[in-house]
Amino acid sequence: MRLLNSLLFTMLFLFAGVVSAQDETESQKREPGHYNTNRFKQLYEEFSTPNMFRTASGAPGPNYYQQQADYVMDIELDDKNKKLTGFETITYTNNSPDKLEFLWVQLDQNKRAKDSKSPLIEPSSAVPADMAGSFVENYMGNPFDGGFNILEIKDAKGNPLKHTINQTMMRVEMPKDLMPGEKFVFSIKWWYNINDHVVDRARSGYETFNDGNRGYVIAQFYPRMAVYNDVEGWQNSQFWGRDEFALPFGNFEVNITVPGDHILDATGELQNRKDIFSKDMMNRYEAAQKSFDKPVIIVTQAEAEAASKGFSTAKKTWKFKAENVRDYAFATSRRYIWDMMAVKMGNRSVMAVSLYPPEGNPLWEDWSTRAVASTLKTYSRMTFDYPYSKAISVNAKNQGMEYPMICWNYGRPDEDGTISERTKYGMMSVIIHEVGHNYFPMIVNSDERQWTWMDEGLNTFTQYVAEQDFGETYPDAIAPNKNYPSRRGPANKIVDYMAGDQSQLAPIMTKGLNTYNFGANAYAKPATALNILRETIMGRELFDYAFKTYANRWMFKHPTPEDFFRTMEDASAVDLDWYWREWFYTTDYVDIGVKDVKKFFITSKMNKEVKEMIASRGISESDLPPLVYLVEEGSEDFDESMRSSKLEDIQTLNEYIMDNVPAEERAKLKRPKYFYEVTFDKPGGIPMPIIAKYTYSDGTSEKVTYPAEIWRKNDDAVGKVVASEKEITKIEVDPDEETADIDTSNNTWPKRKQLGAFEQFKSKSVAD
Amino acid sequence: MKYFRILLLLLVFPLVSATSAHKFYVSITKVEYVKEKKSIQIIAKIFIDDIEDALQQRYDASISLDTKKETKAADEDVENYILSKLKINVNGKPVKLSYIGKEYDTDMLVAYIEVTNIPELNTIEIENKILFEMFPEQQNIIHLKTAESRKSLILEKDEPSGTLRFN
Repeated sequence: MRLLNSLLFTMLFLFAGVVSAQDETESQKREPGHYNTNRFKQLYEEFSTPNMFRTASGAPGPNYYQQQADYVMDIELDDKNKKLTGFETITYTNNSPDKLEFLWVQLDQNKRAKDSKSPLIEPSSAVPADMAGSFVENYMGNPFDGGFNILEIKDAKGNPLKHTINQTMMRVEMPKDLMPGEKFVFSIKWWYNINDHVVDRARSGYETFNDGNRGYVIAQFYPRMAVYNDVEGWQNSQFWGRDEFALPFGNFEVNITVPGDHILDATGELQNRKDIFSKDMMNRYEAAQKSFDKPVIIVTQAEAEAASKGFSTAKKTWKFKAENVRDYAFATSRRYIWDMMAVKMGNRSVMAVSLYPPEGNPLWEDWSTRAVASTLKTYSRMTFDYPYSKAISVNAKNQGMEYPMICWNYGRPDEDGTISERTKYGMMSVIIHEVGHNYFPMIVNSDERQWTWMDEGLNTFTQYVAEQDFGETYPDAIAPNKNYPSRRGPANKIVDYMAGDQSQLAPIMTKGLNTYNFGANAYAKPATALNILRETIMGRELFDYAFKTYANRWMFKHPTPEDFFRTMEDASAVDLDWYWREWFYTTDYVDIGVKDVKKFFITSKMNKEVKEMIASRGISESDLPPLVYLVEEGSEDFDESMRSSKLEDIQTLNEYIMDNVPAEERAKLKRPKYFYEVTFDKPGGIPMPIIAKYTYSDGTSEKVTYPAEIWRKNDDAVGKVVASEKEITKIEVDPDEETADIDTSNNTWPKRKQLGAFEQFKSKSVAD
Repeated sequence: MKYFRILLLLLVFPLVSATSAHKFYVSITKVEYVKEKKSIQIIAKIFIDDIEDALQQRYDASISLDTKKETKAADEDVENYILSKLKINVNGKPVKLSYIGKEYDTDMLVAYIEVTNIPELNTIEIENKILFEMFPEQQNIIHLKTAESRKSLILEKDEPSGTLRFN
């Protein structure tokens, strides 16, 4: 047996040798050498060397550290003049091994300062008609100044601190260097004019309702500490408006003073509920804490509408404490309705909460809080139990934006009460997405300023899982659809983007600000790449364990892309370097097809190729071990009788089986009659598994997946021999559209005229 | 009127927050020449809310697409709008576009258009001005496919048409 194998191998090698010798004489010019360009090469050049801060397995290292920033703040809203005033004391703890000469504080509101450079980096073109208001703003100077007015910065002793403002970043100089392990306490007094977020398309600000009342969704409203870490040093890259934030964790004590008739909710736990809540509200709140199946209304629509008729000059101070959060935000209005329900989280329960004006109903009272609860359940299953006490969804016009425990979401019925499918699914999806951001990046705290995809991509992926879960939990909400109609996640939805013009594509591993197509680049493509990884490359079991490992390792910490890439491999034993390179570091795309299929029959008659070969080597037929010959249909050696040849007719094979295979195993041997050499080609760059569906003459079919590694030695085309008891009538690559193949016209054999989307629609509309 | 104002302001402030809504203004038009049918088959995908805004401003503020309120007239407005914004010259001569119909796919309107009786394709000039009057950053991407080749064009306000040559 071994002899036979070795001889056959020898023959094959000899054969190969002859071919390559011929090639050499034909090509005159010698090819130059090259670097290792194999697509399966490990990412040693792209990845940094692991160290004591971050390990090779993708976990925090023994010397991992992170800075801490604790805040005590008194905030006051002037509803009449749309002004926000604050006094904050920051306690900054240097946990790094480095000495710090200065601190960097983020002044995000300066994006809206009169001298902001944000408009200057946006190319513009002349519009044929402009509203008078925007004309003034564009060409006559913007009268609105929404930047920070910093009134004072003092150390704990009350001495003023030297500081320098560079656009949205402020450098604060300390009396002496801050050594490892030391704390520095300082305070900032500030105010700014609140902007209209509907007009500005901003994340923070107010909107004015038709009755003149305002709803405030207030965020990045206070000077915030920048992140200092082992990867970036100070992350003091300017805030231009689009790319989001990098923030250290800390504890917050925040007192927010608003008009007495406002309803407010915020990051953290309300400390003075008894002073703030009416008796009715308190009773309803207690009921909500025990209601696990439906929301309980805390402030009713009638109460909100009654409050909307007044304008209280009295003030109320809402006092909150929040532990281990990276940021702080709040929403307040006299026009808010408020509801809540409880969600089981291990042996604790947390609250799912919604705040919305009557304009949001009936959509919001039906679905907002339920969507929050459902999202917390899915994300907790995929990562870790939600560690905070609540998650709030606030209705804000035209936007979706996330902060710890609280987020803003759009979606309102038309003024005549119509709720379109788009409005309904837009609202549910944005709530699931923004509540999901509690996990990425509020808890798994990646650097959004640099890597938009790390939170948006991971979150949009998990959003897809949560949307599908939501559809299963609430089939009535999505009827007549059977599955939730997710916009992003399924492989075929990214095809148009990946097939696009290369000059307009950026790799996922690009700073968010510099991508061409933000939505596809930072959200849809990474989400789809992860979904394909889960469904097709790794399988749910391996993927989910590794994904969960990543979330738990980096919960309340600052991960980098490599920490994610490394953990996914570390916890699964799946080598994914090729996948990260192709999907995350390049703009390449997937296109795999069936190039050619050759049909072979078996015979015991020696074919021409072997005859020539043994003649050229002076070997006689009797020297050969027992051989089985394959003859291609239509070739010189082929004759029609071979079509009916059976394995039993091949004497050499029969003898071999009788001598080598024990009698009890002989019956278990397969008896293939048809032999095919299938050539798969790969016009696209990305090597992906070849998912081949073979359909047989009796109508049955079988799906075989050849792992992506089949491409490791030939990047253009690979062959595979298929031995079958039944005749194959059709071969189809990626039959279920799970790899984002950008061109499916080459995916079938025989090349059947497949009815394209156009023909399908046309024939349907003619039939109508 | 309010809608109008918001839209114009949109022109001034293209920046948006981290919504999961689309925040890029792009349409994708696939153009395929099928020689044996002498046909140019066109599939245009446009965001429903963008084209709805355009139709509301252009024809009727009450137009509502992909809802129960969608009317037959709105269907005709979609056809008129697309045909007024899409022009094609084949081998140097303007050709007639036949609008087959439209359907919806999640948040996209998908329109089907055909050019018939094209025995030979040497050059094709495509002008696609859809939504350029609405959003200055609108991009209309054209993917053209024949039996032999695939080519792409990115059309923008300043350059609303492009020509592709074969042979």
